[in-house]
Amino acid sequence: MQNKDGPLADGESEAATSNPTPDFDDWAKFGDDDIMQQQTAIRAEEAEKTPFVGDKEPLSSLAAEYQSGSPILLEKIKVLGEKYAAIRRTRGDGNCFFRSFMFSYLEHILESQDRAEVDRAKSNVEQCRKTLQSLGYADFTFEDFFALFLEQLESVLQGNGTSISQEELLLRSRDQSISDYVVMFFRFVTSGEIRKRSEFFEPFIMGLTNATVEQLVFSLEVAALAAVFLKCFHFVNMFCKSSVEPMGEESDHVHITALSDALGVPIRVVYLDRSSCDSAGVSVNHHDFIPAVGGLPNASGSTETVSPFITLLYRPGHYDILYSK
Amino acid sequence: MSTPSRKRLMRDFKRLQQDPPAGISGAPQDNNIMLWNAVIFGPDDTPWDGGTFKLTLQFTEDYPNKPPTVRFVSRMFHPNIYADGSICLDILQNQWSPIYDVAAILTSIQSLLCDPNPNSPANSEAARMFSENKREYNRRVREIVEQSWTAD
Repeated sequence: MQNKDGPLADGESEAATSNPTPDFDDWAKFGDDDIMQQQTAIRAEEAEKTPFVGDKEPLSSLAAEYQSGSPILLEKIKVLGEKYAAIRRTRGDGNCFFRSFMFSYLEHILESQDRAEVDRAKSNVEQCRKTLQSLGYADFTFEDFFALFLEQLESVLQGNGTSISQEELLLRSRDQSISDYVVMFFRFVTSGEIRKRSEFFEPFIMGLTNATVEQLVFSLEVAALAAVFLKCFHFVNMFCKSSVEPMGEESDHVHITALSDALGVPIRVVYLDRSSCDSAGVSVNHHDFIPAVGGLPNASGSTETVSPFITLLYRPGHYDILYSK
Repeated sequence: MSTPSRKRLMRDFKRLQQDPPAGISGAPQDNNIMLWNAVIFGPDDTPWDGGTFKLTLQFTEDYPNKPPTVRFVSRMFHPNIYADGSICLDILQNQWSPIYDVAAILTSIQSLLCDPNPNSPANSEAARMFSENKREYNRRVREIVEQSWTAD
């Protein structure tokens, strides 16, 4: 292997250096391929900075990041320190919410060995499979992703031949061929849930979609001709197609609500931003996404009886994992 | 050698054979499941009607997490198709998702033929003509259709 990799790597670096720098005066020649190559290069550069899932770090490493930054943030991090002990960073590649959820959930099962939770999750996964089938997705487009997630779920339970350790879980979460498949599994599940309950999600999606104005105008024209139901269906489909199903598309409260509902897993999101409307001193907001039992819509925050075992830290545009004391 | 991408491509092929969408066909080249030839027929009752357009699809081991590289082999005249046959289509770039199989890719390209996006032009002449002179645009499309019968 070593012998084989050596010259190949050399060849690659040679190719990279001999590659002529694109002539930016000539944008006409800067086609889609160039843009995609540039995107790939940026992603590769980011990848060197942070693995998909980082090591557990003390919360002080978060404060260090803002040493010369906003005093409000430093105050908030101090408040966070009262409840939370550590942070685990994820790569900022647009998949950070799903990746954080993946690791946090599997790590929880590994530590708790909660067989009942695994059985419950599995039956929800089967429900998600039926949802996708009833929406007309071809089985073979999603079954590999489902199988791989179920395999990970089995493997964090001890006592069967394939069980894995904490270190192995971290390695797998950093292995693109596993990690990306699990992320994609969550994207399928999220998309299925949003499409299935399109009437519920539609009001939250209007204006959120990253579709271009032209697409919107087009869909408004279509909407004018179609029934209200069709309009709602169209917006939801467009949202799922452009903002849920492609890898690297960032997640918002819509995605979190849908994933939490579909899998029946409560999620706490702690917000670290510059807002400070509390005159009595700085406090840190959080929001609990609580899936309601019995197929009711997500009763976010209203039921305090279930407490989430997954806590994510949200900073505008990014999610990491938080660990309680 | 059976990798996840090759296994998936076998299933893509099976679906395309069992349940082929109207007006498209495709198959892997001999002994190479990673390289496909495909044909898209111009949709009926459009200027593209009667055209048989050949394409290649090159897959990598990252499929279906990454899209294939798709190119027209036949000469094309279309706002979103480059001179070298490569296609400017969101689902083949940043909007790709493993949800799409070969049938879905080809169907999307087929609908792009009659429904171009002149705001993201790959062929600026075709884009301009499409918006400003539909008659001339349709005439050029008919030419391309006729060429598609004779080219090898």
